[in-house]
Amino acid sequence: MFHRESGVFKTSYAADMALYPLPIARWAVAALAALFIVAAPLALGNYPLSILNLILIAVVGALGLNILVGYTGQISIGTGAFMSVGAYTAAKLVVIFHAPFWIALPAGGLMAAAVGAIVGIPSLRIKGIYLAISTLAAQLIIEWTINHVEWISGGVQASINVPRPSVFGTQLTSEWQIYLFLMFFVVLALVATLNLVRSRIGRAFIAIRDQDIAAEIIGINIFKYKLYAFAISSFFAGITGALESYYLGIANYEQFQIDVSIDYLAMVIIGGLGSVLGSVLGAIFVTLLPIATRWFLEASGGLFFAQADMLNVIPNLRLVIFGGLIIFFLVVEPEGLNRLWRNIRNYFRVWPFSY
Amino acid sequence: MKTLAKSVLALALGVAFAGAAAAEDKVLLIGDQCDRTGPTQIVGTVLCPAMQDYYKLVNSKGGIDGWMIKGDEIDNAYKVPEGIEAYERQKQMGALMMTFYGTPQVVALNQRLEQDHMPTTSPGFGISAAGDGKRFPYLFPIAATYWSQSAAAVQFAKDKLEGNLKGKKIAYVYYDNPAGKEPMPILEALQKQEGFELRTFAVPPPGVELGAQILDVTQRFHPDFVIAHLFGRSPSVLIKGLKGAGFPLSKVVGLVWASAEADILAAGGWPTAEGYNTIQFAGAGDDYPVRQEIKAMYKKEGKEPPKEMENTVVYNRGLLQAAIQVQALTNALKISSGKLPTREQVKEGMEQIKDFTLGGLVPPLQVTAADHEGGGWVRIFTAKGGKFVAATDWIHPYREVVENALKTAE
Amino acid sequence: MPEFDLQFTLFLLTNGVMIGLMYALIALGFVLIYKATDAINFAQGEFVMFAGFLAAGAAEYAHAPFWLCALLAVGGMVALGFGLERVVLRPLIGRPIIAVVMATIGLAAVLRGTAVLAFGAGTRAITMPIPDDPIPLGPVTLPPVEVVGAAVSLVFLAGFTWFFLKSRTGIAMRAVADSQQVAMAMGINVRRYFAFAWAMAGIVSALGGIVWGSMLGVDNQLALVGLKVFPVVILGGLDSVIGAVVGGLIVGIVENLAAGYFDPLVGGGTKDFVPYLLMIIVLMVRPEGIFGRRRIERV
Repeated sequence: MFHRESGVFKTSYAADMALYPLPIARWAVAALAALFIVAAPLALGNYPLSILNLILIAVVGALGLNILVGYTGQISIGTGAFMSVGAYTAAKLVVIFHAPFWIALPAGGLMAAAVGAIVGIPSLRIKGIYLAISTLAAQLIIEWTINHVEWISGGVQASINVPRPSVFGTQLTSEWQIYLFLMFFVVLALVATLNLVRSRIGRAFIAIRDQDIAAEIIGINIFKYKLYAFAISSFFAGITGALESYYLGIANYEQFQIDVSIDYLAMVIIGGLGSVLGSVLGAIFVTLLPIATRWFLEASGGLFFAQADMLNVIPNLRLVIFGGLIIFFLVVEPEGLNRLWRNIRNYFRVWPFSY
Repeated sequence: MKTLAKSVLALALGVAFAGAAAAEDKVLLIGDQCDRTGPTQIVGTVLCPAMQDYYKLVNSKGGIDGWMIKGDEIDNAYKVPEGIEAYERQKQMGALMMTFYGTPQVVALNQRLEQDHMPTTSPGFGISAAGDGKRFPYLFPIAATYWSQSAAAVQFAKDKLEGNLKGKKIAYVYYDNPAGKEPMPILEALQKQEGFELRTFAVPPPGVELGAQILDVTQRFHPDFVIAHLFGRSPSVLIKGLKGAGFPLSKVVGLVWASAEADILAAGGWPTAEGYNTIQFAGAGDDYPVRQEIKAMYKKEGKEPPKEMENTVVYNRGLLQAAIQVQALTNALKISSGKLPTREQVKEGMEQIKDFTLGGLVPPLQVTAADHEGGGWVRIFTAKGGKFVAATDWIHPYREVVENALKTAE
Repeated sequence: MPEFDLQFTLFLLTNGVMIGLMYALIALGFVLIYKATDAINFAQGEFVMFAGFLAAGAAEYAHAPFWLCALLAVGGMVALGFGLERVVLRPLIGRPIIAVVMATIGLAAVLRGTAVLAFGAGTRAITMPIPDDPIPLGPVTLPPVEVVGAAVSLVFLAGFTWFFLKSRTGIAMRAVADSQQVAMAMGINVRRYFAFAWAMAGIVSALGGIVWGSMLGVDNQLALVGLKVFPVVILGGLDSVIGAVVGGLIVGIVENLAAGYFDPLVGGGTKDFVPYLLMIIVLMVRPEGIFGRRRIERV
């Protein structure tokens, strides 16, 4: 409604292949960038920024999981464990070698990728929900290992303190500094994922998802690419875990248990499988939903409940709403928020006409 | 059911405007995190109402010199991101102090406490080493840590076994997570000192089935005494299992989370659990003036006392947590000479807590700048005839061992 | 290596068998739904918990005798099964399996919240009219609750085996699971059998809830038994009734032996993940579990 696509003529190949075929897309991206990179850290207080930071961390993890689940079609309930591998690797490097973040983070990611590739080995023979449950096994085994091998966990507490990262000699202590730090990695992850899924590897992933036997017949080495998918996805998860431990100042395996894996799975499914925008929307939705429901209930619940009851009602009602909305969105649009957004956009694109 | 119907109504109408909050000018804000829905909600659903009841009681008596207490409670569902959000939110609201719920949350937020100078209590959670106020200036375990509790457990075993542990066998049944493993250094140190044989039996979370561990304890190890450090549902499974195996429950003692009225009920009721012992840092049972005052408060409103009060172990623990907070604020108000205290002053107030027993519910704590544990006092209670009866006075045995561990903790 | 002790091992094995049959009781509901509707129910633990709440709630609020509570729980769970199928699962027929998985995860949250809102969070007891004292059997003793649980499991095993092999409804359900489209073409009312399957899973969960509830007490923690189901059903094969029981037995025995002989070696609780390890090994040999039916894939 704000713009017309007609009248945009492409007169060269370069224009046709441009990243943003429409001027408005370019402006929209520029505006979003300005809003989130410049305006948000300047305008927002610590509390909203802390929520945004949690969302940013989730976005990286959701992107990674979507590569595995959405693009390659391999269900994983082990994200939490891969995150903990990344977190502990980075923390160890920081504590023992005082490694800067640009070494510790990729190292955490690589270690997670290696572990992820190992976990992916059964995917050669095991498929679908059976594979999903064997990643759950990986989750439990990795948790157990971290908990019991003192060399990794650094003692009975199984937690390692991680100082905040330093960039150009400045330690990022305040919330907005870490926000920009995280934002950098989110942009990096977005660009990397967008490029990956358009590459040869990404197309092989999609072929495997659509039907792995057919993919094998046309000459894709499915074992190799499944392992790639596990490794790349785990690399993202490892980075996520390391980022989270930088943000919290501690690596602790109890922060990365099964419920975390399930939350991330919820992000990619609700957001939209096989969609970059979907991962972002899903991360926002799953992180914000419990918080937003509470704001809402605190504002309106007082009309129905005594203050004392409310403290008990809010958390439980929040669970019901959380689960209910997940079901609602899946019933309304099983392909997730991304599809919902596209439907809305397509509607308004030609508004007020119906097509 | 009525609650459910009302919830549906609240949603159906979906009214999104805030009720006009009464403007109170003299308010002291406390931020509490709670777990009413997560894996440990059987504790949270009793503990948190108790804290609210205590604030209400204080306010009904005019607050602290006219200052009203407001305890803002946020359910973190035992999740770390939600814990962070809750912390930042309550900090923004202007909380003077906080109470955390859950060990992962305590370790994840610890760095922020020091950054924000936020005095925070974590009774029964987190890191035993946090008893050292120099290393953890803003974290107050307040209650006896797992180290102190396990030392008391050994002392209790010694008393039960005619004062001599030489050559005796003690089984340590623990939840296989960091919190469960924490007492081990103390137990190992005491093993050398007292000369008993120690064997550990791990219970992987969530521990809904302990058949093999119970067999291992009763049929292979044949211990003289059992120390249990379990959480969630596993304590009741252990009680039931040991009872079924014919092991005398009077030779079993559970650390703080391993025994509340709800666990006794789930284990099959009081006759089943008769003789079982529990270590607590807040007095159990009904015979405390503060509980009677709360009941009277409800009576005055024409209401029945809440059902949560029947779970005295956890409810009283909530009272202790709230009472300590209120006491710290009282001290802080003295320091600030009646003005709104700063967080630093609340921290100082916390470090001045002593001779505050709340009619026997609170141990003879003495918090100092160096000792944030307040002495590590516990009291052991025994399930007897349908309630918990005190079996010892407030004790803090083997203090030197615990203090030594505090010193050598890295 | 811990010393081998014959009697102790015998105890471990007995305990493993009993507890394995108790696991099978929960796994059966899971398998039923997968067999008939191809859906993975991540809310199985919450089903069991909800049934427990229904039974304990009936005892608490209506002071109903045990049999009536049990009946109420079964009736309630059947109604819940029908209702959920209609509201949640039916719109998802033919959708990607992962959407169904996610919907049941959402369902789990809804059930957990609803149970507390409706019944309160406190722990309750379910008292079965059976003696408390262990039943001696040769050198070992068996807890009565586990005996009841095992018996119920075995009765269900026999019943469902017959049902799927011989009864018209059972055969129709198998046909539906095989291929929904072909079944429809043959004039089978697919939706009706979907609803049936969820209702039957409701019955199994109701009994599971009563048995486990009387063992553990009823509150939200009861849902945790659901986590035990995964290695059981995967080992046995997701679509096999007998597989659920055999898987349960294997998991029960393996975790007991692991706790008895493996834990002391490694100094930690291994009984929760050793069944998973075994599961992966079995899957590498038989990707559909021991009794699972091999699916032939066509391009």
